[in-house]
Amino acid sequence: MKRRDFLKQSTLASGIFFVPQFLKAFESLPAKTFSNKKVVIIQLKGGNDGLNTIVPFYNDIYYQQRNKIAIHQNDLLKLTDEVGLHKSMQPLKNLYDKGYVSILNNVGYPNPNLSHFRSTDIWQTASESNEYLQNGWVGRYLDTTNSDPFKAIEVDESLSLMLKGKSRNGLALTDAKYLYNSIKQPYFNKVLNHYNDAHLSEHNLGYLYNTMIDAKSSSKYIYEKTKTQKTKATYPKNVFGKQLKTISEFINSGLETQVYYAGLSGFDTHANQQNTQARLLQLYAESMEVFVNDLEKNNQFDDTIILTFSEFGRRVQQNKSNGTDHGTANNVFIVGKNLKQNGLYNAMPDLANLDKNGNLKHEIDFREIYATILDKWLKVDDVSILNKEFSKLGFV
Amino acid sequence: MELAHLQHLYNRIGFGVTPKQLKSLSSKSKKEIIDDLFLLSEKVTPLKVDISFVGNYSIQDLKDITKRRELQKLSRQKIVEYNFAWLNRLSNSTELLREKMTLFWANHFVCESKNILFVQQFNNSLRENALENFGDFVKTIAKEPAMIDYLNSKQNKKGSPNENFARELMELFTLGQDQYSQQDITEVAKAFTGYSRNFRGDFVFKNRQHDENEKTVFGKTDNFNGEDIIDLILEKKQCAKFICEKIYLYFVNDNLNKNHIEEMSEVFYGNYNIEKLMRFVFTTNWFYGEENLSAKIKSPIEFLVGMNTIVPYTIEQPKKAILLQKLLSQILLRPPNVAGWKTGKYWIDSNTIVTRLRLPSVLLNNAEITYSDKGDEEAMVTNFSAKKLRKKTFVKATIDWESFDENFKESSHQDLITQVLGSKINKGTKALLEEKQNVSKRDFCVQLMSLPEYQLC
Repeated sequence: MKRRDFLKQSTLASGIFFVPQFLKAFESLPAKTFSNKKVVIIQLKGGNDGLNTIVPFYNDIYYQQRNKIAIHQNDLLKLTDEVGLHKSMQPLKNLYDKGYVSILNNVGYPNPNLSHFRSTDIWQTASESNEYLQNGWVGRYLDTTNSDPFKAIEVDESLSLMLKGKSRNGLALTDAKYLYNSIKQPYFNKVLNHYNDAHLSEHNLGYLYNTMIDAKSSSKYIYEKTKTQKTKATYPKNVFGKQLKTISEFINSGLETQVYYAGLSGFDTHANQQNTQARLLQLYAESMEVFVNDLEKNNQFDDTIILTFSEFGRRVQQNKSNGTDHGTANNVFIVGKNLKQNGLYNAMPDLANLDKNGNLKHEIDFREIYATILDKWLKVDDVSILNKEFSKLGFV
Repeated sequence: MELAHLQHLYNRIGFGVTPKQLKSLSSKSKKEIIDDLFLLSEKVTPLKVDISFVGNYSIQDLKDITKRRELQKLSRQKIVEYNFAWLNRLSNSTELLREKMTLFWANHFVCESKNILFVQQFNNSLRENALENFGDFVKTIAKEPAMIDYLNSKQNKKGSPNENFARELMELFTLGQDQYSQQDITEVAKAFTGYSRNFRGDFVFKNRQHDENEKTVFGKTDNFNGEDIIDLILEKKQCAKFICEKIYLYFVNDNLNKNHIEEMSEVFYGNYNIEKLMRFVFTTNWFYGEENLSAKIKSPIEFLVGMNTIVPYTIEQPKKAILLQKLLSQILLRPPNVAGWKTGKYWIDSNTIVTRLRLPSVLLNNAEITYSDKGDEEAMVTNFSAKKLRKKTFVKATIDWESFDENFKESSHQDLITQVLGSKINKGTKALLEEKQNVSKRDFCVQLMSLPEYQLC
């Protein structure tokens, strides 16, 4: 979208005609040029064991703490002389070798919370660990840019907190045609034509109507824009593969959506971790490689970065059930074409210097990653979205 | 009692009410009506399906992979049957309040199991304790085989504690977030060491795995066991407050009112008598306050069962009933995680609103349902060949329109608007409905159920 169109659209959409011009200038317009970059966010749900994903195979403490589940040098894909990648992630290694991957170690936040739900909320809302926000950072991005719901799409059947803003929501969608056909009923049109929205928007009823209106307009736009786009690439036949396939079709069809969110579940490996994690990481890596190649073939990879996180890492010391318990800091993958810094972004965790519960101490605050993406990639004011200033990182 | 208030009460303690019922109740006083409600729920009718097949297996059979798979398969099928039985129970019970409370507790003491024996036992524990003493309830839940598996109590042993149950006990079941330290969690886990269960679904306390050492919890030091810990938790006023807040969110309003919570905590703290607390809530004037009427968004189960109150229907195949629950994002016995379903506005997004608006017309006309299917989370891990992701199906249901005709016999189209939708209706929509009354009563009812207003209760 051109900046002029954007200005026009946001003025109409926000209904601020009666605000004096000089005030409007301060209203939620991004300070910088609008960007058409895309961000794909992937959550490895359940807390992926980062230490068995990116493995410090020369570290004695690692083997002492994990005598049953540690991975040995020969079973790893070497990234450096001391660090190896889980062997089921060869497809990701291929991307890594092309310089498309940046691995950020020790990403977390102060006073880590070890509950899945709370920690997911913290990651999704970008809050402090003792702060409870009712809206997510992507939702606030929609607020700040006065965006339509389709600017942020979660490829799922329900919408996460991450995409819920103060006044705007993103869209949960697995199939645009289905959604579009379902709501395209004469009766619903009539109801919406009669709808009188005075003083209702804060209440549940207003919320219901607004969601109905959003579903109608957004599904129409997405359906019409994407109906002819079918990818030729062969994605792994599972749900995560299907999610990435949908995202690639959306991106390749020129949809204006800027943020996509997808997830892969099952990483909560309290017992008998090894096989489960290997299968999941393989599923992740295979799908990612197909996805990146697909985007590249369609000349869309230049404008896309993919952020993969997990709500937390796992305890350094394994438990007696050959699994690992909830931990804290973890690694984050950034995948993109023109990364300013690829490979291992920073040093591996210091296993000799753990917190009092035997967990890793964080070095990079995850909100520094968000701030970097918002500021350098999406070119919007990160401080107003994150409610705080964070230092920027150098991966883009 | 005022009709609007009666309707509100029945929306919250059950799944709505027909004008015929309203008529028979309207001459009674509030006290009589509430007394009757509790009287009807005194009885506990356990929910059971035939699981005699479990008796054909022994623990040794688990070592045999073929037998184990067979058992798992049978159990999975029975859980589908149990889900269906539960849904039907909710639609056809006289123990209204007890069943509604059971549904509430199922999203409080959140648990999932693949073992039908454990599932049934757990579900009936919720039912039996739904209106009794909260402290005993927590102690029972801690010993339920389903919970012992779900939150890794079995792996929680002396010398190698597993903190999963300890954390959720405090975070989700009794106190709420940030009411304890990480140190407390570690120590509470030690107190619960030894909790285990056997193949037949009995609680087993393994003395040798129990940590007999002293533990320090909330600043107190002693040789605590699991039940001592629950008693320590109950001593905290925060526990009463936390439970009252959850009950308020479920039965009254999505927005907490500090004064009301305080009044409730006063009633609840110390005795922890759930029935007494609920009786108090339904007797207050604020429960019937204007701001609480039609203020809550129905859960998918409330939506499905509520439709049945107006137009009784029976879905023929249990699997199709589960499909509907799935499309609406709430499958009984399959919570998303230990925190349960997020409620209120969280039920509604662009997908679920469209499904809800379409469902009454589709279901009551036996029409085709198209749905996208991203598979469930377990299938993601093991089933690599899930191919077709968009499907079509018919949900065959028997529709009892005759009962609708009978129950709404005396209602005009105009009456139907408030009887089906309640009191909060958008002005424009109301105008549309008032000009659109030339259709049959049945069709008009389906139209009403296809509105955003119908999502409220």
